[in-house]
Amino acid sequence: MIIVKNLRYKYPKNKDYVIDGVSFEIREGEIFGFLGPSGAGKSTTQKILIKLLTGFEGEITYQGRSLSSYTNEFYQDIGVSFEMPISFSKLTALENLRFFQRLYRKTVDLEPLLRRVGLWEDRNKKAGEYSKGMKIRLNFVRALLNDPKFLFLDEPTNGVDPANARIMKDMILEFKRRGGTVFLTSHIMGDVDELCDRVAFIAGGKLREEGSPRDLKLKYGKRTIRVEYRENDELHTKILPMEEIKNPDFFKLLQEKEIETLHSGETTLAEIFIKVTGVRLRD
Amino acid sequence: MTNLTTLIRGEFSRLNKYGLFKANLVILLVWIFLVWFMESEALLRFIPLIFLMDSVMMTILLVGATLFYEKKEHTINSLMVTPVTENEYLMSKIITNVLNSLLTVFIISLAVYLLKGVTYKYWLVIPAVTLVSVVHTLIGIRLSYSAKDFTSLLINYMAYVFIFFLPSLFAQLNLVDQAVARFFILLPPEASGLLITSGFTVTEPWKIVFSSLYLALLSILLFRFVVKPQFIAYVMKETGV
Ligand SMILES: Nc1ncnc2c1ncn2[C@@H]1O[C@H](COP(=O)(O)OP(=O)(O)OP(=O)(O)O)[C@@H](O)[C@H]1O
Ligand SMILES: [Mg+2]
Repeated sequence: MIIVKNLRYKYPKNKDYVIDGVSFEIREGEIFGFLGPSGAGKSTTQKILIKLLTGFEGEITYQGRSLSSYTNEFYQDIGVSFEMPISFSKLTALENLRFFQRLYRKTVDLEPLLRRVGLWEDRNKKAGEYSKGMKIRLNFVRALLNDPKFLFLDEPTNGVDPANARIMKDMILEFKRRGGTVFLTSHIMGDVDELCDRVAFIAGGKLREEGSPRDLKLKYGKRTIRVEYRENDELHTKILPMEEIKNPDFFKLLQEKEIETLHSGETTLAEIFIKVTGVRLRD
Repeated sequence: MTNLTTLIRGEFSRLNKYGLFKANLVILLVWIFLVWFMESEALLRFIPLIFLMDSVMMTILLVGATLFYEKKEHTINSLMVTPVTENEYLMSKIITNVLNSLLTVFIISLAVYLLKGVTYKYWLVIPAVTLVSVVHTLIGIRLSYSAKDFTSLLINYMAYVFIFFLPSLFAQLNLVDQAVARFFILLPPEASGLLITSGFTVTEPWKIVFSSLYLALLSILLFRFVVKPQFIAYVMKETGV
């Protein structure tokens, strides 16, 4: 749906490129996670993709056409939530949403959305009097109010309590199930793991790794099995290669010992994150 | 409803909610109070001054204040990712300010008529105030571009008033040679004052025509070559969203 080729960008006043030759593709109907250390250029990339930042080098196509050839009609189809929650502080939540709603051809019913994220009761409160988490949920609703095809979410669940984060994640997954496409950045690896079909890691202006969370975990993990068991009141750990899983000795171990934990050696996204971005950042 | 009407309605609702409309209204009441005590002779010299101040200074201040709030609350970024175009956004600012200035004209004129029975050439005053308000909305937007915060906007604004009003003042006080003073019509406030005053006195027609054309041309040039091209850079100058 979006193809980015050799994207380079530097802010007008700076001389260094924030994004320095990045290529990736966001496929229709997937949730694409864009990950990287703080200051790596994730938000910058999002702002380029939503046509807020112009003057980039390289090529970006959206549904087969160059992004720059789109008029403002482009925005009929996309929903954006920024890193920081944005609203007119002296207008109520509902007034904020209604104002934005009138700018779109197609809109959705606000009540079910607001009820879902738990803001309906507070809809007539001024946005400026909302708590941080409430503001973030309000922004999430605003991103959805034009029934977009494509969502750009910059750290959507950052600062939201676990219960509400759960609801928002469910809504993102439902959005995808209805055929929507999502570009998402987040530092919460659990969310990324749960939501994203594919992720890309950016660091030092370059893309360091790309793939589905599962493939990456296999690639960076060890093909091992780690068993912890108790014997004579002592904890023992045994690590054996995945190939030996069908080995009778392994079965015997499982049958005879008091097993406490059993893990395959694939790694976590957080560890991959550190591995692919952290080390390279220093060069 | 088109985007433009939505934006203009939004402007008015925010002017109201952010207390700017109230400030405007208080000033209006002060004018009406002053007008109350004036004789019709003085009145006809004072009213154009009210209209001039309103369509020059209030316009710059109001557009500056709204831009300042939008910048502070980052709402301008949200607007730029909706189907609203830059033209629509800028036009909504211009039209809102024109409507505001015309509202002042309407209220003052009505008050003056009811209180004193004084009338004047509305058909000249209305287009004059409209034109002046358009130019100064654009000047106000330009001044906001180079202001870091509201204080620096006020400083820019004072510098503008100082630089462009002082020559006219000097001319009035006969501190400037008449031959030189002739060219002051090229200063936007001077041309503005001339146009608005034409509704109250007898003015040479060529001056009205010249000032109108001049301000209209200035508006077009400002919009086309200054305000619009620098708009995106202004939106993007802000960080942290
Ligand atoms: N408006 C701006 N002008 C100049 N430089 C900027 C601007 N916005 C961001 N930068 C710089 O660009 C780089 C990338 O910033 P960006 O906000 O894209 O990072 P990020 O990956 O989103 O980080 P985080 O995870 O902290 O949100 C940083 O070095 C930042 O200082
Ligand atoms: Mg960011």
